[in-house]
Order: sequence, then C-alpha cells, then structure tokens
Amino acid sequence: MRTNHLQLLRFFSILLLSSALLFSTSCKKDSDEDPDNEQELITTVILTFTGGGTTITAVARDLDGDGGNPPVVDNITLAANTDYALTVAFLDESDPTDVEDITEEVLEEADEHLVCFVATGAMPKPTIQDTDDDGKPLGLVSTLRTGAAGNGTLRVTLKHEPDKNAADPCATGDTDVEQTFSVRVQ
Amino acid sequence: MIDYRKNYWLLGLWLLWMPVLLPGQQCTLSISGRVLNAVTGEPLAFANVAIQEANVGAIADEQGYYRIDNLCAGNYTLVCSMVGCDHKEHPLQLQSNLTRDFRLHETAIQLDRIIVTGEAIALQSTRATDELSGAELASTQGLPLGESLKRLAGITTLNTGATIAKPVIQGMHGNRIVVLNNGVRQEGQQWGLEHAPEIDPFIADRVRIIKGAAGVRYGSDAIGGVILVEPRALPEEEGFGGEFNTQGFSNGQMGVASAMLQTRLSGKLPLSGRIQGTLKRGGNLQTPDYFLENTGIEEYNFSWAVGLKQDKFEIETFYSQFNTILGIMRSAHIGNVTDLLNAIERERPLRDGAFSYEIGRPQQRIEHELFKINSVLKMSEAGKLSLLLSRQFNFRREYDAHRLFNQLPDAIDNPSIQFEITTHTADLVWEHKPVMNLRGDLGLSFMRQRNSTARGALIPNYITYNGGVFWIERWKNYPFPLELEAGLRYDYRWMSIGRQGRDTIGEDLAFSNLSGTFGAIYRLPKLVSLRLNVASAWRAPHVSELYSDGVHHGSASYERGNPNLRPERALNQSLTVELDNKKNLSASLNLYYNLVRDFIFLEPRDQPQLTIRGAFPAFDYNQTDARLMGLDWSLNYEFVPGWTAESRLSLLRARNRRLEDYIIFMPADQFQHSLKYTFGNNANTNNAPFIRFTMVNVLQQTRVPANTDYAPPPPGYTRFDLEAGATFYLKKQPIEAGLTIINLLDESYREYLNRFRYFADEPGRNIALRVKIPFGNLR
Repeated sequence: MRTNHLQLLRFFSILLLSSALLFSTSCKKDSDEDPDNEQELITTVILTFTGGGTTITAVARDLDGDGGNPPVVDNITLAANTDYALTVAFLDESDPTDVEDITEEVLEEADEHLVCFVATGAMPKPTIQDTDDDGKPLGLVSTLRTGAAGNGTLRVTLKHEPDKNAADPCATGDTDVEQTFSVRVQ
Repeated sequence: MIDYRKNYWLLGLWLLWMPVLLPGQQCTLSISGRVLNAVTGEPLAFANVAIQEANVGAIADEQGYYRIDNLCAGNYTLVCSMVGCDHKEHPLQLQSNLTRDFRLHETAIQLDRIIVTGEAIALQSTRATDELSGAELASTQGLPLGESLKRLAGITTLNTGATIAKPVIQGMHGNRIVVLNNGVRQEGQQWGLEHAPEIDPFIADRVRIIKGAAGVRYGSDAIGGVILVEPRALPEEEGFGGEFNTQGFSNGQMGVASAMLQTRLSGKLPLSGRIQGTLKRGGNLQTPDYFLENTGIEEYNFSWAVGLKQDKFEIETFYSQFNTILGIMRSAHIGNVTDLLNAIERERPLRDGAFSYEIGRPQQRIEHELFKINSVLKMSEAGKLSLLLSRQFNFRREYDAHRLFNQLPDAIDNPSIQFEITTHTADLVWEHKPVMNLRGDLGLSFMRQRNSTARGALIPNYITYNGGVFWIERWKNYPFPLELEAGLRYDYRWMSIGRQGRDTIGEDLAFSNLSGTFGAIYRLPKLVSLRLNVASAWRAPHVSELYSDGVHHGSASYERGNPNLRPERALNQSLTVELDNKKNLSASLNLYYNLVRDFIFLEPRDQPQLTIRGAFPAFDYNQTDARLMGLDWSLNYEFVPGWTAESRLSLLRARNRRLEDYIIFMPADQFQHSLKYTFGNNANTNNAPFIRFTMVNVLQQTRVPANTDYAPPPPGYTRFDLEAGATFYLKKQPIEAGLTIINLLDESYREYLNRFRYFADEPGRNIALRVKIPFGNLR
C-alpha cells in the first residue's frame, strides 16, 4: 500500500504542475473584462422635401436596433401640384452624444449604393438626379412634382452592392435600409 | 513561372509524383491485421504475432492491431499467441502485402487471470454505434468533417453552403450532440447553424459515432449523440516514421496537403512524439451551370503530441491549432425579406461568377486552439486513475458583406461579429478493478467557460461553470451471453450573464439534473447480437436560446431568446439488431424512439419584426415536447467473392407534440446503395484495390411545419458517386492512392438541409485524387 501512496503523491504533483501550466497559458488571450460591444448601424432616415417655399422633413427612427420597439415613422404632408427637391440622409444616432452622418459614407462609396423609391397612390415617384462616379443613378438627391390631392405611400430603400446594369437594379443587392412613409397630398 | 501559393492544387498534383523519385529496397512486404476475441469480436490487446521461419514478430497494440514489416516473399507460418488464449497458426504464401486477422478463444480456466491482469479493452457500447476509418475516412478527408460522416446511416449534415457542414445524428445537431476531439469536448460555437466543428479531419485516424443520449459518460448536453474524433495512439516502438497525404479536388480547384511525423526515443526516457500539419486552399465552387461567387476556403492547421508511457504511469500532452478563412457565398447575403424573396424568385444567383481563389466579404475567420494534458496512473490493486486537463480557445470573426459604417480608416476592416470563448476542463476518472464481474468507472468533471462578445450584440458575455459526477458499471460474466450496463450522473451548471450590446443583463442562472443509462447486450450463438439501451439525459438551455436578440442575415429572420426556458429532458430508447457471420455478411438495424420534453425550438410570431431595414419574420424561442423516431439500416454482403453490395437507409419522423406539427430542418428519408468490387482473391485484406459505385437517393422532405419557411423543400434527388482505391509499391515504398468522384453525372440539385438552397444549387461534379505515402518504421 505504501507504494500506492507514493504513486498517488507523484500523480497529483504532476497534476498540479500540469494544471499550473494550463492556466498560465490561458491568461494571454482572454480579452478584457469590459469588452466593447459597439455595433454600428443606421438608426435614422431623414427625408427633406424643399419646394413651394417650404421645407418639409420626415424622419424614420429606430434607436434601439433590430429588436425592441419598432421604428417611429413620421407622416409626410405635401402640397398638391408643387415641385419638390427631395434629399435623403442616413444617421447613426445610437449614441446620442455622438451622432454619425452615414450619408457621407454612402456618397464616398456611391458606386456600391443606390436609393430606390416605390411610390403608391397620390405620391409621385421621385426622379433621381445625382449619379455615382460611373454616371449611374445614386438617389440621395431627386425631384418630384405632386399632382392632385390624395393619399399614398413612399418606400425608401438603401441598397448595398446592387447590380446597376440590371434591368431592375432595385431587385438586386442587399438592403441596408427600408422604410415606408405615409404620404398625404393636400 | 507558376505561382504555387495561388495554385495549391497544382502543388498537390506535383507532389503526387514525388514518390517516383524515392529510392527502394528488397524485402518490402508486410503482414498486418488484428487480433480479436473469437466470441465477442472485441480486440485483444498485446498478443504476440510471430513468423516462425523468419524469427521476427510484433506485439499487437491496445486495439489488437499488429504489423510486421520488411519481409521477403516466401512461405511462412504466422503464429499468434496470448496468455489465457489458445494459439493459432496460419500457413501462408507471401507474395504481396497481406492482412490476416486472428480470432482467439479465451481458455476458460485462465479467464479470471486475464480480467485481473489484462489491459482494459474498450467495451462495446449498448447504443447504436458506427465508425469511419481507413480508406472510407481517407477518401473525403479533405472535405469538412461532417461531409465524411454522411456515408454512415443516420448521419446527415446541416450545411451553410458547401464549406460549412454541421453533423446531424438522427435529426439532432448543434448543442444536442457532443463532439469529442481527442477526448476533449469541443467547445466552439456549436449553437449557430453556420458554425461547423473546428477540427482538422486529418487529425483523425478513426471517427466513431454514438447514436442517442450518452449524457452519463459525455456530459449533460449529449442528448442526441456523440462524435468521437480519435487520433491514433502515439508510437510504442522505437524508431521514426510518418505519412504524407495530398488531395486535389477538381471543384473549387482545392488542394490539401497534410503531413505527420512521429518518433519514439530509445534509451532511458521512452518519450514518444508526433507533429502533424495540414494546409488547404480552395477557390470558388461550381454548380453544373454557374460558379458560386466567394466560396473559397483556406485552412492552416497543426498539432503536436508528446507522451511518456511506463508500466504504471502515462502522460500525454497534445496541442492543436485550427485556422480557417471561409468565404460565404455573396449572393446568399441579404438585407431583408424582400431581398430573400427576390433571390428565391431569381432561382439562381444574380451573378454567375468566375473561378477565383480570392475570398472577399462576407467571410468568417475562425481560430481554435486545444491544449490538453492526459495522465494515467495504473495502481496494482486499486485500478486505474486518469486525469484529463484541457484548455480551448475559440476565436471567431465574421465579416459582413458591408464594411462597417463610420469607422476610422484603420478600423474599417474590423469584423461585424467577434466572439472569444475560452474553456477549461478537468476530468478525473477512476476505473476500478473488476469486482464480481463488474467493471466500472467513477468520474468527476469540471468545466469553466467564458464568452466575450467583442463585436455584435447577438450573444451576451457570459461565464459558465459546470460540475458533474458519474458512475457507470458493466456486468459481464463470460461466456454468459448477456452483458448489462447501468450508469448515473449528476450535473450542476451555473451561468452568469453579463453585458449584451449596451445593456447589462446581470442575471445568474443555475441548472442541475440527473442523467441515467441502462443498457444490455445479448449475444445469440454465432450470428446475431441484440443491443438495447434506455437513457435519459438533459441539456440546459444555451445562452443563445435564452438571450439571442437580433436578425440573422443568412436566414432573414429576427430571433428573440427567452430567459424563462427550462432544461430539455430526453428519454431515448434504442434497439439494435446486428448480424455478422464473420465471413461475407454483416447487417445492422437500429430502431430508436426519442422523446424530448421541453424541446427548445423557434416558434414563428404572428407579427413581423419591424426594423430600419424593413420587416423580418420574427421567431421566439419556445418549448414543446418533441418525438423523434426512426430507423437506420446498413448491410454489407459479399454475394460473390470480390463483389460486395452495401446498403444504407435512414428514416426519421419528428413531431412537435404540443403544436401537433412537424419540426423544421429534419433530414429527409435517404438511401445509399453501393456495389463494390475488390480485386484479388482475399476480400479480407483492408488495403486491397477496390472500386465502388454508389447511388445516393434523398427523397423530398414533405414533413415540414407550416408557415415557417420561405420556399418549399426542394425535390428529392438521386446522385451517383464513384470511388476507387489501391496501394501500389514502388519497390519498398507503399503508396496509397484513391480516386473519388462525387456527383458523377454533374446533376443539378438542392438539399433541404442546406441553408443556401434558397439561392443556389449544390456543387456539381467533384473529382478528387488522393495519395498517401507512409514512411519510416512507424507508420
């Protein structure tokens, strides 16, 4: 039995040693206690209609990200039979103390982005006025002319890497933003 | 000048010709085989095998394998003997390499002595098991681990494209099965559907599958089964040796090279060691009609092991590192449901793509490290004590198709999702000496796991501690035909959940429960054996099921965790009937009936989740009672010498019993039929040249839940594969070569269990060539 005790002793001393080895290697790569969980996203879409001597702003905003509360979307009220210039802006307002303007980046990577519009009812479809470096449409700036009074909707989609040569570029690429605004023309 | 860095497959092809340049010698033949218990079929360890005339011999290893090398052609008598067994002689004529298996009978008088002094032989499981080794494993070793296992009955894969394959055992996958990599529970990111096991398939000498709940031995999560990836044992003879493997695949022009060197020192310090490494590079895969853009893969793996084996004490250290960069098919990345529906409507990717080795966005970069120290102490009176300590580090980075917005220029290439998981385990097992025909193990196990989510708020940070204690006993009274096994385990798991994104959850959760198993093996005289197992195991809900909160881009769905989930409890019943006439017929039928109470699944919500990117179908983690039942059937029948018919069949019926509905992502019924011709008149020989023609037939999955999928399951398909293998000799140097053609007829099809079936077809014909060159005296 004595040899057994010695064996056990040797066994456990090796265990101790090896476990020390294991845990010493473990400290290197473990990250800090307080990891940075930041995730950048677009939280806000701002449509600015300028025309008829007024500026109308409509905002779709989802500050808490994908889960939680749904986005809060403003209604748009436009005057009938009026020419408007429409600009689209994208913001990251997830950190209220540090609001980022994503529009600049869309502009920088203009060839990889496209703003698509789908209009229904009394809302006319905006005509894209700006282009990327290749002369293809971009969509941050557009124009439209409202007709008779009525109700409608405007869906604004920001596409990433669309195939701008496709028959319907808006059916390609993946979607970074998609919001539908209710429109009233009066 | 050919740039080999960009054309690994060319390098692989070039290396195929290397052996031609190697020198040769006389007397190059070998005899190898296995020593088995004639009655039980179990391997007999450490038998002596000798050639009477040549006065040379070898000792079989723990698994009963032996090998005698450097023999000249001639007539010999091969003798096998072992204490406590009868002795067998095989007269033989040696002209080419031979395989001879010995089946020895235990002599009853000395039986007790064998049990007392003998080495513990791996006990046959009372569950259904299956394994892959030798040429069967080698033929697809360059593909992900899961792909190789598919040829076994009851095993399928859940794929994300062709490069990410999660193994599925009888319908269960992910957290419900356990993968043991060299004895250590693989702790990566098993929860995600797009996270495959981070294991280099070339580490494995053998892959074993245990079907059904095996929670007592392998820990609480193993309610669906276990996959054991087993490297070969370190060499116990002095010398030096190794092997070189190379494989080239036509589809994706993928090249794989893997090398292994091993040695055992002579002298006072009998150290054994091995180093092994694998390089893999592949480009865009091709369907019959188009290329799949951005489906390349790169892999760099290595491992080393050092071991010391003495009569009473053994210690082995093992380290492995797995690094991969995987391209995710560009057209499968979508922003919202409209994109997905557009993709389904297009019926093929937007762009046909071209061949390239370039891996762009989206992509995954994964590192996995494993370090373990295993020590065994054999005490003369008290039995065997073993302690396994391990540390694993898993580092995963996922890069979205879109670069990050508003980053400083130096951070623009940062990943969108980044996880780090560090796991420490300690397992202490005491195998007591047999008492009254009882053999058994008592064990303690401990695990600590820590997740840090550095980017992306899908999963919170957490720390988990798990403690378990188990006891398994096996009663066997040879030659009584019945064997019984029973075991019990208690686990306690404590989790502390930390930050998730900008929120602090700050919850502590504890789960504890029992697992149990009861099994029996009954061997009818000669032909048939029956195995019965009833086991109950449980699984604590995973952090991802408790706290997931976000959109999955691959599946265009919003998933919300449920912090009130209870553990799953499985009751698994399995009956296996095996038939083996030890000559030309072996067959196995496994029937199983699994009930899982509180089965965790994703339940669709009535209302979609609205986000800034539009609407996503929303799913909540919920619980139900699930029933999974089915059968696996396999048959090998050599109906004419040389000609073997092989057949595999897997059927599964899964039901959500609370909703009275089906369960999503369950494998469809499938059949595999092969005809194999083995050249030469000794079909027993493991490395005889063979050619095999296989038909894989997968039916359409019609049992799917309503309103949870965007497109109906694809139609069934039939695919033909061809495989051939042989060992050639260039003088002394053996060269194992193999040819595998998957999808011989270049058929277009889609697979229900591939999440990219919405976007593209499965890869087309893939011709794979492989060469294995063993060298040295330790092969």
